[in-house]
Order: sequence, then structure tokens, then C-alpha cells
Amino acid sequence: MKKTILLVLLLVSFGLNTALKADDDFTKAMVKAKQSLKTAVDKYDEKEMIKARGQFERILQLKKNTWLVNYYLALCDYNISTTGMEKKDNDKIKKYTQSGLDLLEKSILERDNFGDAYVLKMSLEYNRFQYEMDKMQTIIADVTAAEESAKKYDPTNPRFYLVKGIATYFTPAAFGGGIDKAQPLIEKSIELYGLIKNSDETLPDWGLDAAYGYMALCMIDAGKLPEAKSYMDKGLAISPDSKMLTGWVKKQYDEKAK
Amino acid sequence: MKYLFTLFLLLFISANTFAADSLATVPVKISGIVKGEENKPVNGANLVIEGTIDGATTDEKGMYEFETEKTGKQKLLVTAVDYSSYSTEIDIQQGQNIVLDIKLTKNVTTTEQILVTASSFTSGENSKVTLTPLEIVRIPGANADLYRALTTFPGSNQVDEGSRITVRGGDPDEVITILDQATLYNPFIFDDSYNTSSFSTVNPWSLKGINFTSGGFSAKYGNALSAVLDLKSYDMPTTTGMFAVIGVGVGGLSGVYNNKGKFGGTFSLTQSYLKPFFELNGQTGDYSKIPETQGAGGTLAYKFGTTGNMKLYFNYTNDAIGIRNTSPSYDGYFNSNSDNYFANYKISFAPGTTSLLSAGASVSLFNRKLNYGILDTRSKDYYAKGRVDFTQPVSNSTDLNAGVEYEYLENQTKGTVPQNSYNLRLNAPSLKIDTSSNSGRIGGYIETQMRISENFFIIPGIRSDYHTLSKKISVDPRLSVGYQLAKYNVVRGAIGLYHQYATPQNYLSANNNDLVAEDAMHYILGYEYNKEGDIVFRVEGYYKDYRNLTAFDPNDFYLKSIGSGYAKGVDVFLKYKYQNKFTGWLSYAYADSKRKPYDSAQETSSDYDISHNMSLTASYNLTDAINVGFTYRISTGKPYTPVTSATYDPVQDVYVPVYALKNSDRFPTYTRLDMSFQYLTSLFNKFCVVFVAFNNVLNTKNLYQYSYNFDYSNKIEINSLNKRIVYFGVGLQL
Repeated sequence: MKKTILLVLLLVSFGLNTALKADDDFTKAMVKAKQSLKTAVDKYDEKEMIKARGQFERILQLKKNTWLVNYYLALCDYNISTTGMEKKDNDKIKKYTQSGLDLLEKSILERDNFGDAYVLKMSLEYNRFQYEMDKMQTIIADVTAAEESAKKYDPTNPRFYLVKGIATYFTPAAFGGGIDKAQPLIEKSIELYGLIKNSDETLPDWGLDAAYGYMALCMIDAGKLPEAKSYMDKGLAISPDSKMLTGWVKKQYDEKAK
Repeated sequence: MKYLFTLFLLLFISANTFAADSLATVPVKISGIVKGEENKPVNGANLVIEGTIDGATTDEKGMYEFETEKTGKQKLLVTAVDYSSYSTEIDIQQGQNIVLDIKLTKNVTTTEQILVTASSFTSGENSKVTLTPLEIVRIPGANADLYRALTTFPGSNQVDEGSRITVRGGDPDEVITILDQATLYNPFIFDDSYNTSSFSTVNPWSLKGINFTSGGFSAKYGNALSAVLDLKSYDMPTTTGMFAVIGVGVGGLSGVYNNKGKFGGTFSLTQSYLKPFFELNGQTGDYSKIPETQGAGGTLAYKFGTTGNMKLYFNYTNDAIGIRNTSPSYDGYFNSNSDNYFANYKISFAPGTTSLLSAGASVSLFNRKLNYGILDTRSKDYYAKGRVDFTQPVSNSTDLNAGVEYEYLENQTKGTVPQNSYNLRLNAPSLKIDTSSNSGRIGGYIETQMRISENFFIIPGIRSDYHTLSKKISVDPRLSVGYQLAKYNVVRGAIGLYHQYATPQNYLSANNNDLVAEDAMHYILGYEYNKEGDIVFRVEGYYKDYRNLTAFDPNDFYLKSIGSGYAKGVDVFLKYKYQNKFTGWLSYAYADSKRKPYDSAQETSSDYDISHNMSLTASYNLTDAINVGFTYRISTGKPYTPVTSATYDPVQDVYVPVYALKNSDRFPTYTRLDMSFQYLTSLFNKFCVVFVAFNNVLNTKNLYQYSYNFDYSNKIEINSLNKRIVYFGVGLQL
């Protein structure tokens, strides 16, 4: 009997150790890939984004939480697609937006209550305006559907308000957008970031630096430069290399300060 | 002691498990280049050894390099956006680095554009479409009408500036419209009404796919001689909401509903009352009944399982008009009133992992009352159709399509018709008619879509139909091919036999139902340059050889299959799109279409032998919110048969016209310029579109027909009522 118990203990120990190791491999790889993506996004470096994408794609081989890995792959695609906007490369925007939407569909099929997936879907759907404005009605319907799901599954997700705020920021006032309407959404986003207690380091945690950046832009527009500076500093404290903060926001700030 | 040993063993195993990584063997380096189309390097391809995270991503030169401690036979997986996944087995030996170059092929969806068959113009969600739905509804002069939009493509012409179209010199009846597998026999309002343009009842916004083929079409389409307009409506609405449109004289309300993606529905209501429109633009016709229409329709959809979808589509329209018409024998109002009911039920699901089965049943009823002088008829056209289509990929490069259909047509006509077409007076000699006729047709087809290589496809198919009235079987072999010469450059061709049976009414005028199906042999060859739909250039030549056309035998006045003819020509299409700013396209068609009613008769122009036809459409976004556009059309006048003299008939006290050779003269050249303006904005925080249309801006007088005075001594021009008009309205999301 004692021998049997010991044998079972032995097997359980072995199995547990193997599982713990797999978990550890997955977590390590995910954290590393997330960091690579953050660095790439901060630097706005397409090559690095593509490399980070490859890291996530290889993590798929671990066959663990593939819904989450696919989410990150879609996030990589979204970020790569934005590099096409600067160069007005519609082919690239389309290619990566479509790929991102396909990956999100896989992610949602596996786990349909992950709020961040719908937030990212909103962003990717907004991208479609860049290359198929003529499908405006369909895009609006798809964005609305994603918005409803995002709110339903994670009503306090700060990235939901951030994405909505950014979209509102860039939408002309004639279509219900504008900086004054974007500001409360971004404020709400920052407030919600403060309430997050994320213990799982593989889950998404991006966006607070960008939220500070957009708040800084709102303040610059309102002529409130000290407040703008304060938001910029808060953003830079999180992402010192953020090209958005050190480049675009800083440039706007400097121009207004002249 | 034993327990201590066991405990030690447990700890040892645990420690070893974690320490395995540190007991590394010498890693093996794997490197190489990943290439794609035309041996160009693929940037961002991902390589990984299956079951591990050992791998790398290629750089701009397509180069990769990584190390692994795995040994033995391993599977290397390669993926890249836009490319098909690739895997290969590699044998990793300690101390032996591996250099491996890999070639990826574009995935199937990116090579689909060459599968577009000859003479096809597409719209919908596919990224390779010729025109998008928005481009279609924005076409100036098209009035958001799908059929009018199609006439900006080469090869198709409007009938009387309305929605009914003719294609490549054929008759309007040679074009069929398919909606979700059902045939739409009367998708028009004001069809065939005197000097009144018809309008389509199909809402372009309800369509997820439009495929217009002006020749050489697939074997799955039967009973059509010239062209097919294949429409697919949305299976399931993606959201919930309503949209209202209010224009001068026309109002509409539509809505969509989606319940968790499982159940959905749509509805649309339209009502026209043209009095304000006439007051704004000046009423040009003399009406006893101002044209009026009502419409109601919608869909109900339900998703079942993972792939199943059921959909019920229904539509009702009514139109009424009373317009004055002065003919040589009668001066009075042409009155028409029609009701059109249509319903289609469709179910589709995947019986296997890759196959798709669709089945549908549709019914329609078209009631029409016509009255002009002695002519006074009421007709009913019933139609029913059942259809099953099946698609099964048989390999990575071959799809098999097959299907069967049964179609029933019935016509009932009652009333009074003039004995002679030249005397329409109320007291003219007439015939009382009360006829009923019906026919059935059962057909089946099978075809394969074969991608022989990345650049070459071939679609052989065959269909056969049996017709109950003629008791004849037709067999139609068809073939489409396409070859991609280089990126964006495709050569396409098609050859095939096409049959179309006469209507049940025609058989009433035949002797012992002695009418076989009309047939046409299509030969098409063309070239297309299509850069992602932004730049499209297409040139296509065609020849259609008509046989067994239905015509009256001058010897016994029975309808017989004795006509023949041909149509040949060249279509040219050029489209340019610049980002979201500008879209413009130019269509030019040359056609030569001749018909002969019987062997010994002289060959003459067909009714729609339009030798030259050109249209230019441009649409420009001044800002993200403001769009302006124009369409200019110019074409050879259509043929008509002039009256050369007339003889007096003292019995009827009427002149009998003497006609020249059929279609021996032509109307003057037709031209028209239309402009449009759209402003997108928000109202009450909701999406809103304001639109203004200026039709026939130059107020060109285009001829509708020639009429004559009572003794035919004076030819009178009857101009189209489509004079310069302005129309405006607002669409608002609710």
C-alpha cells in the first residue's frame, strides 16, 4: 500500500512538474513577446513589430491559451497596419487589418467573452475606413456590434474607452466626433486604468501611455500647456522611448508653446 | 530509510525536470531564405519547429536563422500573411547545421481574381469587385438603381432610359435576374409603360454580392440567351437599426434586426407620390393618374448549427399610371396598374467539412391591368421554382458544382385586344380573349472549377433542360478559361451553348407547340489588367451566333423556330480609382447585331443594335463628407421601322400603315449628362446623408418614338419625358 502511495506521489510530482514547466515556458515566452511588441510599438518600428509577431506565432506551438495568443497576433497586425497609414500604403493597411480580423475571429470562436478582443476588433474595423470608405454602412454596423460586445463582456475595460476616445478624436465634428467629445472618454480610460489589478502578466496591459498622450493632445488643443506637460511626463514615465510622446505629442506641444 | 530514499527521488526528478534546460546539448543552426511569387523574398514569414517555440521571422531579404537543441526528424512549419502555410520534415543531426530555402505560394483567396470568368462585372464584399455597392448607388443618373448602374458597363444598354436592359445586341428578355437562386421575372415598376422609364424593385443595399455576366456564363444558369444578373442578399443582418429616406415625392423606411447572430430580420417600406416632384420640375406629361408606387418587403433569417442558414425573402410592389398617348388612330390615356408579389425561401448548410448545399423555393405573382383605346386586358403571371445546388471541393485545386432546378410558368390573360394593331379606337374590330397557358422546365448542371496552376484555371461544365410544352431536351456544353500572364494581367475566354425557351404565351401562337428553344453560341476572348480594383482595363471581343429564334412564318402566320442572327462586337472598360478621393470609369462598346426572321428574309438590324455606345462616369470626394459626380452617355440611335406610306381602309375608316424594311432607320444620336451631389453629416448625433441629383443637365431632347398623324403623312417626334430635372432628399439613420 505504501509502495502504491509513493508511486502515485512520484507520478503526480512528475506530472505537476511537467505542467508547471509548460506553464512557465508559456508565461516566459508571452512576457518576452509582449515586451518585444511594446518596444517595437514605442519605437514605431515595423521590422521589430514583425519580429514580435513571429514570437507570438511560435508561441502558438505550445498550444496553450491559443485564444490569447491569437489576440496578440491580431494586436501585432493592428500595429503593423498603422505603419501603413503614415506611408498611405493602403495595400499594407488592408493586408494586416484583414489578417488581424481573421485572427480575432479565431480567438473569439475559442473564447467569446474576452472583452479586449472586441476592443481590438473595434480598432481594426475603424482601420477599414482607410481603404474601403465605400463600405461605410457595413463598417459602422460592425464597429457597433463590436462595441456592444466589448461593453457587455468587460464594461470597465480602460482600452474600450481609449479606443473609442481615439476614434472620436479623429472623427470630424460634423460626424459626431471632435476633441471636446474625445476628452471625457480618454479621462474615463485613465480613471479605469487606475482601478486595474492585473495579476496575470500574460493578459493585455497596453494603452495607459497612449491615454496620457491623447490627454496631453486634448490639453494642448485647449491651450492648457502645464496640464499637457504633466500628462506627457506621466506617459513618458511608463514608456520613455514612446515615439508618439517624444515625437508627435512633443511637436504639437512645442508648436503651441511658441 | 525507504521513505527518505523516495523523498530524495521525488526531489531529484523535480529538480531534473527544471534543470533539463540547463543541460544543453550543442545547438544546431538552421538558416535559409523564404521566397514567394516571382522568387521575391518574403518579409515577416514565420518559421517554427512543430511543438516548440524554436524558430525565427524572416527579414526584408527573406532570410532567417535560428538555433535549436531538438534533434532527429522534426517538422518545420512556415507561415506568412497572404501565403499558404507550408511544412516540411527536416532531419536534425548534432553538429550539422542546416541551410534550407523555402518557396511559398499565395493562398487561394489571393488568386481568386483570375477565377473571375469572362464578361463578368462584380460588386459586393469581395475586394476584387469591379464596383463597390457605394460606387453603384452613387452613379449619377442611376438613381440608386442597380440596373441603371449596370448600363455604365460596356455592352449593356437601357431600354427607354429605364431599368430594363439589353446586352450585346440581344433582346431585353434574353437577360435574366437571379436572386438567391430564384429567378426574378418582373423586378421592375412601370415596365413597358408608355413614355415612362421603368425602375428596379431591387434594393442595392440589401445585396452582399452582385455578379453581372454579359456572356459566356456558367452552366449553372439555364434558360438565358444573353446575360445573367446574379444577386445574393445578406444572410444575416450584422446589427440592429433603422434608416429613413425622404425625397421629393418619395419616402422610404428600412430597418434591420439582429438577435445574438442567431435570428435576424429586415424590412423596407416605400411610397411615392410624384405631385411635388412634378411641381418642382414642371409636369411634362399629361396624366389622368400621376405615377404612384408602393412597396413593402423584408427578410427573416435564422442560423442553425455552425454552418446552417435559413432565409425567407419577400417583396411586394404596386404601380399605377395614366398617361396620355396620341397615336394615329386613338388619342387617350394609357392606363396601367400592376401588383407584383415575390417570396423566396432558402436554406443552406455544410453537410461535410468543405461542402455546401443550398436549396430554395420561390413563388411570384404578377397581376397587370392595361387599357388604351379598345385594348383592355387583365393578365396574371404565376411563377414557381425549386432549386438545389451543391458544391464540393474534390482537391485543393478543384471544386465540383452541381445542381437541379424545376421551374413552372403560367400566364392567364382575359380581355379585349384590337384585331389590327393600327386601329385602337374604342369601336375598332376586336377580339375577346380568355387564355391560359403554362409550361414546366426541369434542368440540371455539373461543372468543375479547376485551378490547373497558380496562374491558370479552367471551368468545364454542362447543363441539360427538358421543357414540357415543346417536349424537347437541350444540352449546353460550356467552357471558361483564364490565364494570369503576370501580376494583375489576365487573359480570359469562354465558349458555350445557351438555350432559352419561348414563353407559354408564345406557344399559343404555335402549331402543336412546335417551338424549340432559341439558342446562341457564345465565343468570347478578352484581356484584363486589374490592380486591386483601383486601376482596371478590360477589352473583350465576342461573337454570338443565334439560331432557332422565334418568329412568325409569313406563310401560315404560326410562330416557329425559324429565325437566326448574330451579334458581334468589342467592349472596352477602363476604371481608375485614386485612394478614397476619385473614382471614374469609361465604357465603350461597339456592336453589330443582325437578325433574320426566316431563311429567305433579308437580314436587318436587331431591335437593340446600338453600334456605338460610350459612357463616362466620375465621382470625386471634395472632402470626407462631400461627393460630386457626373455621368455622360452618348450612343448611336436605336433602330426603328419607318412608315413609308398608308392606304385608306373605308370599312374601318382608318389608314393602314405601310412599313419599310424592319429596323431600316435609326433615331438620332442619344446623349445625356447627369450630375449628383452628396453630403454626409450627422443630425441629432445620427448618420445623415443629403443628396441632390440633376438629371439630363443639358436638357437634351432625346427621342422616345416616332408617331404619325391620322393618315401617316406627317411624322411626329415624341420626345422622352426625361427632361432636365432636379431631385433631392435626405437619408437619416434612426
